[in-house]
Amino acid sequence: MSPGLSRIVRTDWFGPFVIALAAIAIVAAFNPSFLSPLNIQVLLLAISINALIAFSQMSIIAIGQMNLSVGAIGGLVAISFAGMMEVWGFPAPVAATLALALGLVCGLLNGLVIAWTGISAFIITLASLSLYKGINLGITQAQPFYGVLDAVKAFGQTNVLGPIPWLAVPTAIVALLLWYMFNRLPVGRFILAVGGNQHAAELSGISVGFTVTVAHAISGLLAGLAGILLVARLQIGQPTIGDDWLILSFAAPVIGGAVLAGGHVSIPATLLGVVIVAIITQALVLFNIDPYLVQVVLGFLILGAVGLNRFREARLERPAGRI
Amino acid sequence: MTQTVFEARQVSKFFPGVKALAEVSLDLHTGSIHALLGENGAGKSPLIKIITGVYRPDEGELFLDGNPIALTGPRDAIANRIGVVHQERNLIGRFSVAENIHLERLGAFPLKPIDYAALNRMASQWLDELGLDIDPRTPVSRLSVAKMQMVEIAKALSLRSRVLLLDEPTASLTAHETDILFALLRKLRDTGASLLFVSHKLEEVQEICDRVTVLRDGRNACQSRSMEGLGRQDLVRMMIGRGEDAGRWTARDRTGNPVALQLSEVSTGLGHRNVNLAVHKGEIVGLYGLVGAGRTELAKCIMGKFPITGGQLRVGGTPVVIRSVADAIHRHGIGYLSEDRKQEGLVLMHSVLENAGITVWRQLARWLAALTDGTIRTKVAPFIEKLEVKTPSLDQTVGNLSGGNQQKISVAKWLAAGVDILIVDEPSVGIDIKTKAYLHDLLRQLSDDGTAILLITSDMPEMVALADRIVVLNDYRVEGELINSGQYDTMSHAIMDLIHRVEAA
Repeated sequence: MSPGLSRIVRTDWFGPFVIALAAIAIVAAFNPSFLSPLNIQVLLLAISINALIAFSQMSIIAIGQMNLSVGAIGGLVAISFAGMMEVWGFPAPVAATLALALGLVCGLLNGLVIAWTGISAFIITLASLSLYKGINLGITQAQPFYGVLDAVKAFGQTNVLGPIPWLAVPTAIVALLLWYMFNRLPVGRFILAVGGNQHAAELSGISVGFTVTVAHAISGLLAGLAGILLVARLQIGQPTIGDDWLILSFAAPVIGGAVLAGGHVSIPATLLGVVIVAIITQALVLFNIDPYLVQVVLGFLILGAVGLNRFREARLERPAGRI
Repeated sequence: MTQTVFEARQVSKFFPGVKALAEVSLDLHTGSIHALLGENGAGKSPLIKIITGVYRPDEGELFLDGNPIALTGPRDAIANRIGVVHQERNLIGRFSVAENIHLERLGAFPLKPIDYAALNRMASQWLDELGLDIDPRTPVSRLSVAKMQMVEIAKALSLRSRVLLLDEPTASLTAHETDILFALLRKLRDTGASLLFVSHKLEEVQEICDRVTVLRDGRNACQSRSMEGLGRQDLVRMMIGRGEDAGRWTARDRTGNPVALQLSEVSTGLGHRNVNLAVHKGEIVGLYGLVGAGRTELAKCIMGKFPITGGQLRVGGTPVVIRSVADAIHRHGIGYLSEDRKQEGLVLMHSVLENAGITVWRQLARWLAALTDGTIRTKVAPFIEKLEVKTPSLDQTVGNLSGGNQQKISVAKWLAAGVDILIVDEPSVGIDIKTKAYLHDLLRQLSDDGTAILLITSDMPEMVALADRIVVLNDYRVEGELINSGQYDTMSHAIMDLIHRVEAA
């Protein structure tokens, strides 16, 4: 194998990339309508929102923690966005900005409490999951907000180019910014350093508390953005938004080879993880298979991906490979 | 002319119920390598933490260039050009060498884009200066332990440290790598740096240090005096308050005993080829090799953790296939005393009793169906007593005990299991002289009682003090076998010759 090719094979995104291509080829062979513009548009809509959910969790996986409140933050931001438009009559950009700020604050609170108390993120976000969800239900009384402005509805329904929906634009920008942050900005490297070896990071003068707080704030912001886009797509502010995000949020980064212990994540591979999940979900619909099976398939996918990663890491860590 | 760069004057540190440091003083000169010695618990670690800004002294003052300073944290120490190479690895495995070296510097501007090209360039300079042939873009996880250590030194130097503190820098290095490190340290000293060298290995301290401070029970046993005229015995007397027992090594020939463990032409899934090795009943066979030679890996294959793919393994003369670690312990009576007791040997959160009893749970439960603390206690207590583990009670959490006592519990665990064959991996890493001597006596005594011991250690004096025969491993192959004469100089030369014969070829 040439060195260039071998380097590509060793990257994180190569495996998911091959699987995604294979999945597309197989599904398209059985059902050519899979590649129709309409179907591609549907796929992209799902991918746009799910990618933000996955990125939200990925930012926390990077520091070796987990955020159980991703869905609760997304849901709270979503109903706040719709509610501010309906009840207070705010214009869409103002409502969106305020709602995003709310997502950021929710994440920030998670991070601050974790950094201050030193209690595990699992426990803190379990509590805040209940808290944020409770506020959501208290505000909405479990009833949706219908007063979503037409401009927002249009944003969620129209395409920017060919089959590419407008909703894909914010996600694409976020993906680029995240890539830049994790690969080029010190703050992104700090997140990975803290995830990789917290003790070493601390002794290198990196403030662990600050880094943890930043990661959680980013996670909250991204979850909020996903919630806003979902309001645009669904055309209403559903209080149930976010209830089913948890499994997906972990599945995509894990399929993309993220190390749950922290210190290593990949934006393209996570994105491909989202793509794979979307294709399989879509295929089940196309083949008239019970959609409830999606969960089962997702479960197997996660197990398969974790197994594959272990195998890969075992190979990389072979002592003979050291210099 | 030498001058005082750094001084700690009458420094004290209190912890709830303990006075960890009492009016300790220390001064460091330019162009000098200063040894900091002391048994475990003597106060070295709090002193180091005070010098590096992790702790603040409760009493006393620190001076830099004669001016009093108050360090507010590790970053502050770095800013004052006090660098540290910590005992434990402090590198981010997936980051490149260059990024690891410069991690501190990136801290000031979280949002300023990183210029990797410049980073690599600067890192190359430091690596060149240290004579290290490493590509700065290499991920640290791909380096050998020794190279990682060098990278840590490069990292400390890149901060233009004038005071460089090295905490047990040779703990995971082999003799050859240590020589390279020492050459480097001498070079730094000659350019005017002030080094503080913390080590348990007195041979090394005598080799490169010119001044010394000894701590005992949180106080100065001697304060920043010249090494001149100090012999090993003098240092030991200051450290433990009495002289060291002379080595009681006597030549033994146990090759006439029945073979307990035999490897014939063994190959393993980790890459060992044609390994031949025999340990007789009552014999200590040393397995020596550089880091990365495959010693620990071989031990783990014998224990059934990784597969043996070729050749034959015999236990007590019978060919066996060991499928799992549980198999090795319970069916074949082989115990493994891990190199890394914190990660692999002990459950730090659990009590002494639970840790020492872990190997016998199965044995006891076979007859009783359920375990009671009482049965375990009767089984384990004699060994804890025999090894003189200093613990308030068997219910004490192991994590609160000293390193030496933790190691004793690891040994007790295997004694309780009643193993016939014991593989001991780096038994004295991080253990003080008193405990080490005791541990050596214990291992010799165990073998006299009939246990076959396979000893893995990078500590050459320890190897020569303990082993009856020494097998040299290099690059996952056996290079040769030597009968130990007990003469350190001849043995160490013979061993290094075996290793370098291969490297030269």
